[in-house]
Amino acid sequence: MAGKKGRKPSADEQGTVTVGRSGLGTVVANTFGVIFAVVMIFPVYWVLNTAFKPAPEVLQFEPSFFPEAPTFDNFISAFNAPYFVDDLINGMLVTVFAVFGALVVGFLAALAIARFSFYGRKALILIILAVQLVPLVALLIPLFLMMQKVQLTNSLIGVGIVYLVLILPYTVWTLRGFIAGIPRELDEAALVDGCNRWQTFWRIILPLTGPGLVATSIYGFIQAWNEFIIINTFNSPEKQNLMAWLLQNQTNRGTAWGPLMAGAIITSLPVVVFFLLIQRNIATGMTAGAVKG
Amino acid sequence: MRHGKYPFIIGFLAVPVALYGTFVVAAYVQTFQLSFTSFRGFGAATYVGLDNFVRLWDDSQFWQALRNHAVLLIFLPLITIAIALVFAFLLNVGGGAKGGMQRGVWGSKFYRVVFFFPQLLALALVAVIFGRVYSPDGSGLINGLLNGGDDPILFLADQRWALWSILAVLIWQAVGFYVVLFSAGMGSVPQEIYEAAALDGATRVTLFFRVTIPLLWNTVQVAWVYLGIAAFDAFALVNIMTVDRGGPDGATMVLGMLIYRNIFDYSQYGYASAIGVVLFFLTLTFAALTLRVTRRDTVEM
Repeated sequence: MAGKKGRKPSADEQGTVTVGRSGLGTVVANTFGVIFAVVMIFPVYWVLNTAFKPAPEVLQFEPSFFPEAPTFDNFISAFNAPYFVDDLINGMLVTVFAVFGALVVGFLAALAIARFSFYGRKALILIILAVQLVPLVALLIPLFLMMQKVQLTNSLIGVGIVYLVLILPYTVWTLRGFIAGIPRELDEAALVDGCNRWQTFWRIILPLTGPGLVATSIYGFIQAWNEFIIINTFNSPEKQNLMAWLLQNQTNRGTAWGPLMAGAIITSLPVVVFFLLIQRNIATGMTAGAVKG
Repeated sequence: MRHGKYPFIIGFLAVPVALYGTFVVAAYVQTFQLSFTSFRGFGAATYVGLDNFVRLWDDSQFWQALRNHAVLLIFLPLITIAIALVFAFLLNVGGGAKGGMQRGVWGSKFYRVVFFFPQLLALALVAVIFGRVYSPDGSGLINGLLNGGDDPILFLADQRWALWSILAVLIWQAVGFYVVLFSAGMGSVPQEIYEAAALDGATRVTLFFRVTIPLLWNTVQVAWVYLGIAAFDAFALVNIMTVDRGGPDGATMVLGMLIYRNIFDYSQYGYASAIGVVLFFLTLTFAALTLRVTRRDTVEM
């Protein structure tokens, strides 16, 4: 290795060779970590801070780092705002529909792609991946015209179907990675033991893909929950989601920061909770899809 | 697993292929068709040949958008990947070794969650947050800290700063995902390799450039494609954050925004579709080129 020769390999008491044992390097590394973490987290902290402040305190010239008189008023007024509760429920319905649908459809498709070789398999994979690349806004007009024709505009089902299609490629691709990681010997052993093909899928592959399904669902959840262009274009305000609600109120209200921040927190909460619940699975989920070509 | 597989394949793929065929492939075909018409949202679509594309060629906003994409395309992947690699390295290897195992810096589990956080926040919330961060008056985070609001930097309203301000938000949001992605990759590098490097007297810097990056090249490549695609999009953020949606004076215009405005502000469906077609080819060309150019022998572990 033609690296620097500044430091000689040092062996510690147990005789193990180590890198980076110098105190200075470790301090620098840790300091970097802390500074960067602050940059990443500070804006989030600030939103929380604002949301719990009563209205007059928000607009104080000297910003304070903690609310002097913490209050839930902002959350209450967000809940009482027009369409807030409607849009909260709509968002949940559409998201659950899309994520669950994509998992079911995507699991079967991933199974076919990962476990069978068939004519056109490569082409199918290419199309799935290629189409995922192109920004959605390019499809806004045809999608709207299509939904209009079958009278699914201003309906949650129409939006739900579009979201399902939107998150399907990622779902298929990631689950394919998980299924490919399950040794074929397991399938074969089950077949030998008298399972039919269905039972193999149902009893062997599905349970083993379980963590993969969970990890995959977070991405779909984020996508569907945070989408606002489609739902804003297709539906009227009482049939939109919280994201669209937030954007509308951002422009309408101007300076009512407190309730807006509170609304924004409520909007982000489901995703954050979901993430914290499953964050152990997430690294495996992403690599399964992304790296194992 | 040979005989009787086609019923399964057809059964499994029928629904996704049908959904795809209808909502994506057919939708694209329609976009292509509309791009040759002067459709305005009602009545019949009149065929106008290549008029939309000719008009696009002379549209200064279109070229401005392309220039902005070029800036994003260079700096978004470069900066994000650099930051993410360094921090993934710190989290996994940078903390020195104990008992023969390379470890991350202290608190690395906590950082992993913190870095991922921006990824989870609703875009609308991100826009609200950075609206406050960039605010020109004394209550703005940066301007308030810098000089208490005197002689503020107009991050979003100044042509020189607007695109960079958007870029910073994109990076802030993206970094966490790539830290986690690279961390996963680094986790799969066998300890023996680090040990061997350590025996040879490698420092942190050497480890990073000569061991970690070559072994992670595949993942970096994937990240590059993802981020490049994000650079071609960027529409949602531009739509909700920038002055005059793509302004000031086109400084933050992106193709998605141009499509959106042509649909909703000018009802130019045909013209918007033509931009969509260009975007389609640009994105695919980029992805294919990146995969080809960055192809190199990966190090076998």
